[in-house]
Amino acid sequence: MTPEEKYELFERKINGELSAKEEGRLLLIINNDKAIADEFRIYKEWSSYLGSNLNLMQEQSDLENNLKEIGNAFFTQKSGEKKAKIIKIPSWGYAVAASIAIILGVYIFTKSKPTYNDFVSIPELSIIERGVENEIINNAEEAFNSKNYDKAGKYLSELLKNDETNSVYLFYYGITLIEQNKSKEASQIFATLQKGSSAYKYRAIWFEALNQLKQDNKDQCIELLKTVPKEAEDYTQAQKLLKKL
Amino acid sequence: MGKSKTHADQKYIEALLNNDTIVLKEIYEKFAPKVVGYIKKNNGDESRAQDIIQETLIAIYKLVKEKGLLLTCPFDAYFFLLCKRKWLNELKKASLKEVTINEEVVSINDESIQHADETLIFEARNELFTEVFEQLGKTCKELLKAIFTIKSMEAVASKLGQSYGYVRKKKSLCIGQLTKMIQSSPKYNRIKNLL
Repeated sequence: MTPEEKYELFERKINGELSAKEEGRLLLIINNDKAIADEFRIYKEWSSYLGSNLNLMQEQSDLENNLKEIGNAFFTQKSGEKKAKIIKIPSWGYAVAASIAIILGVYIFTKSKPTYNDFVSIPELSIIERGVENEIINNAEEAFNSKNYDKAGKYLSELLKNDETNSVYLFYYGITLIEQNKSKEASQIFATLQKGSSAYKYRAIWFEALNQLKQDNKDQCIELLKTVPKEAEDYTQAQKLLKKL
Repeated sequence: MGKSKTHADQKYIEALLNNDTIVLKEIYEKFAPKVVGYIKKNNGDESRAQDIIQETLIAIYKLVKEKGLLLTCPFDAYFFLLCKRKWLNELKKASLKEVTINEEVVSINDESIQHADETLIFEARNELFTEVFEQLGKTCKELLKAIFTIKSMEAVASKLGQSYGYVRKKKSLCIGQLTKMIQSSPKYNRIKNLL
């Protein structure tokens, strides 16, 4: 049996299209040949995986966003409860707190506040492949590298329509969103990358931290910076920013 | 597991399938504190706990969506066990050698262990399959995406300007190729006996 015939037999078995005679033949092959049995098992797993996963994307991302919101609300409320407990201090404590606040205020005032522009370093986009002519790719690269992020964003989103899990497109698209102050959309893109296993997994944490910094969400920025692992290329910068915050 | 009766906590599984905000909130309120406590005691913090909880819920959702899951034990035990194992895996990955695990006495029955094992193996399989699918050639990848999202082979054939017979044959060849790729993956050999 050629591989072509074998896979066609598997496919027809999964779709319930085999005649009794063919069923018998497949069963005999599977019982006598462990390698083919193994192959059939994996083939079936693939059919099940593809049938489920290629359809889930939108639904899964809706669930993820909802869980993120519920989780954020739950954890913010939790830390709010804790803070309320800490406030119970004796009356003389207020004087001490006030003095500390003044000292801290002076300190913070004299210390410059780190900004997004101090830390951001936007990498160049390089997606044009030699010998491959693709106008959208060319336009995306040109617009991005000439800092025309609005245009670059549109081209990248066009590319993502046909290749929605492409981590390069996603990462650079996320940057164009930060640059256009579309913070929420950018967060969604970086969250997707952080969950994946691409080369942009850790860079996405750093850029999401910068996204939060740009929106003045200091606490979220700090939390994100703490999760940049040592092996990440942005680790040193992340630590530097963490110290300043 | 055929003998066991479905547990009343199946409602939490359904909530994931239906993206039911009210019941999902209940999951956080009822079951998250124990997970947060465990992770904080074992070298983690709240933000890591939030991630682990979210990842665990998504892993359960994917399993249920593809294979179905009838919960025969309390959700609490199953969910906690999954979060705990996920967190221990994270610690192992980060190779924090100084980590000491503070174990808690939790009543865990065989069924919750079985459910948790199933979910983790399924997740490992999913990660491997996703990785391998990405390595597949462009033509096959696009064809399979079209077939499994459009669902009607005739519609795919007309969209691609190909005959029905061609699309059908190509589909089985592409899945065959994926099958070969999985068989030659070293990661597969590590989980193959568990699948």
